[in-house]
Amino acid sequence: MCVTCLSQCEISGEIQLTLKDIFEPESIAVIGASATPGKWGYTILKNLLGNGFAGPVYPVNPKATDILGHTCYPSVLDIPGPVDLAVIVVPISHALAVTEECGKRGVKGIIMVTAGFSEVDGEGKQLEDQLIGIVERYGMRLIGPNTLGVVNAHVGMNASIISRLPAKGGISFITQSGTLGLALADWTMEMGIGLNIVVSTGNKANVDDVALLEYLASDKQTDVIAMYIEGINHGREFMELAKGISKPILAVKAGRTRSGSKAVFSHTGSLAGSDDVYSAAFKQAGIIRIENIDDLFDSALALSVQPAPAGNRVGIISNGGGASIIASDTCERLGLAIPALEQETRTRIKELVPKFASYSNPVDTAGLASYGTYNGIVKHMLLDPNIDALIVIYVHTVMWDSRIPANAIVDIHRGRCLKPIITCWLGGAGTEAGIGILKSGGLPNYPVPERAVKALASLVKHHGFLEKVKE
Amino acid sequence: MTGNDDRLWKLLRDWNIPVLPTAAASSAGAAVEVAKTLGYPVVMKLLSPDITHKSDVGGVILDLGSDGEVKDAYHGIIESVKQHLPKARIEGVILQKMAEPGLEVIIGAKLDPQFGYVIMFGLGGIFVEICRDVSFRVTPVDREMAREMVLEIKGSPIIEGARGMESVDLKAIIDVITALSSMLEKNTDITEIDINPLIVYSRGSVAVDARMLTG
Repeated sequence: MCVTCLSQCEISGEIQLTLKDIFEPESIAVIGASATPGKWGYTILKNLLGNGFAGPVYPVNPKATDILGHTCYPSVLDIPGPVDLAVIVVPISHALAVTEECGKRGVKGIIMVTAGFSEVDGEGKQLEDQLIGIVERYGMRLIGPNTLGVVNAHVGMNASIISRLPAKGGISFITQSGTLGLALADWTMEMGIGLNIVVSTGNKANVDDVALLEYLASDKQTDVIAMYIEGINHGREFMELAKGISKPILAVKAGRTRSGSKAVFSHTGSLAGSDDVYSAAFKQAGIIRIENIDDLFDSALALSVQPAPAGNRVGIISNGGGASIIASDTCERLGLAIPALEQETRTRIKELVPKFASYSNPVDTAGLASYGTYNGIVKHMLLDPNIDALIVIYVHTVMWDSRIPANAIVDIHRGRCLKPIITCWLGGAGTEAGIGILKSGGLPNYPVPERAVKALASLVKHHGFLEKVKE
Repeated sequence: MTGNDDRLWKLLRDWNIPVLPTAAASSAGAAVEVAKTLGYPVVMKLLSPDITHKSDVGGVILDLGSDGEVKDAYHGIIESVKQHLPKARIEGVILQKMAEPGLEVIIGAKLDPQFGYVIMFGLGGIFVEICRDVSFRVTPVDREMAREMVLEIKGSPIIEGARGMESVDLKAIIDVITALSSMLEKNTDITEIDINPLIVYSRGSVAVDARMLTG
């Protein structure tokens, strides 16, 4: 199926191919490469050269002969080898001419970083139309214009102004806001969250959300699709496409505030703000709508490393009462159940905890955080047929080593259990070593119980969609 | 608007959305004859292509129980409209059999530029206006989706029969939502439509008022 017109059309195969040329090119030209640190033409070239991208990277600039130790070509037409992708960072007055040259040269994909098109004014819109005319004439595909670039962590390609290449992971991120998106990508690095593809869509003049979604759905390295959306151009097609994608799709949609409807003809007209329509459409398409930006990656992380639970029944384990109360409250608020445990499970847990501890759900070890306690309780709760998912909390005190309970559950998780486990190692200093063990064991960890529960709620939602919406 | 009004009520009937028996009259005498045929009590509404908010100009009178009241109401409406909006065209009145009291809900739709038709459901009156207790679905809406959208509003216990109140006919609400969804698929010039209120009973429902905008 053609990603542009959503029907059978003769160039459909080619379109898939050329999006691959944008995200997995074998050779790249940076048109408008600069030797001046601080200029984007410098930053992008440096990012492409310094992150392990295997293919050739050609700087293009008529005013230079050598940039960062690489031969610089006056034009893309002068490059000796084939060029799959061109990243264009030239002044807008040259943008159309160099695009035309890319077409002549047989370049297949373009990332147009240059701004000043439809996002500025009517004149810019005209330029953008001309740009797309050229792109279509040569059968190329274009991200942007006005994009801050594309990253593919798995092939070491950083064709963007992000300062570092993110760690490799299963989350791909489509962002409509360039700067916000890049700040978020930076933030995932702090959090140690692995990414695959990051794409700043810019003006979406050629490659739009529908095309990107279709590409990421078929991309083997992408497990979870996270989106920051301000507006969608082909809402209905987007929705129909998303319905058929079983990978989790998470979206933050900006502009929640309701602009007063001008028309007051009908109640429906005044009450159905565009935001309500987005919410309905997302729900029907199985897209998990996330309220806040920080929750987006919290949920994406859980979805990228843990299975979707079979239901909404949560077991909570903690070594301190307060944290598990917060977790249970949040569960209740988000529609997750805290069911009673089987008699058998309670008997087993009772043997592992002090007399005054709570051996019903939420289980409270009354301070104990030994290997045997955590390992045993988690094991028995996972076996309980009333439980679909676990939240394991450890509140750090100087009496315990945060690594011990971490190892206790990672050892169980190595058995690839079908029920998701979300962890919350609380307490700042002293927890890092334990969190490191959890992370390398594939367990998503959160610094506070609320965030752990919210992430779990997204897993539960995704399961609900898989059962109902996804074809 | 008259053309739209006629078409709207015909559409509702064609798509099996229950409506109250309604008839037009262009004189006081004719209004009395119509009222007798419909059966008392009746409601009288102004029929004018120029006026959307009929009650604002004294163009709606409820609960008329006799020939005399109908006659007085007719003259009253015409007089009141002439005072408020002397230039408005007046084509007479519409008489409608007064609906039995029941649970008022609103079912509407509008055309969204990105996603197409979106259907709204909510409880009527202050619930919709003040509490915004409404739910939405993009069409096509099937029975299961319609059921979900009814049950997901905060006030849904009222529909299911809270605190000793009698529950209302959920199936009848689902019928109207799905009928509206199908109707819109076949009448794509409609840009906004409200059925407000639809009165729902323990068995069945009836559309008491509706309005539609076409583009």
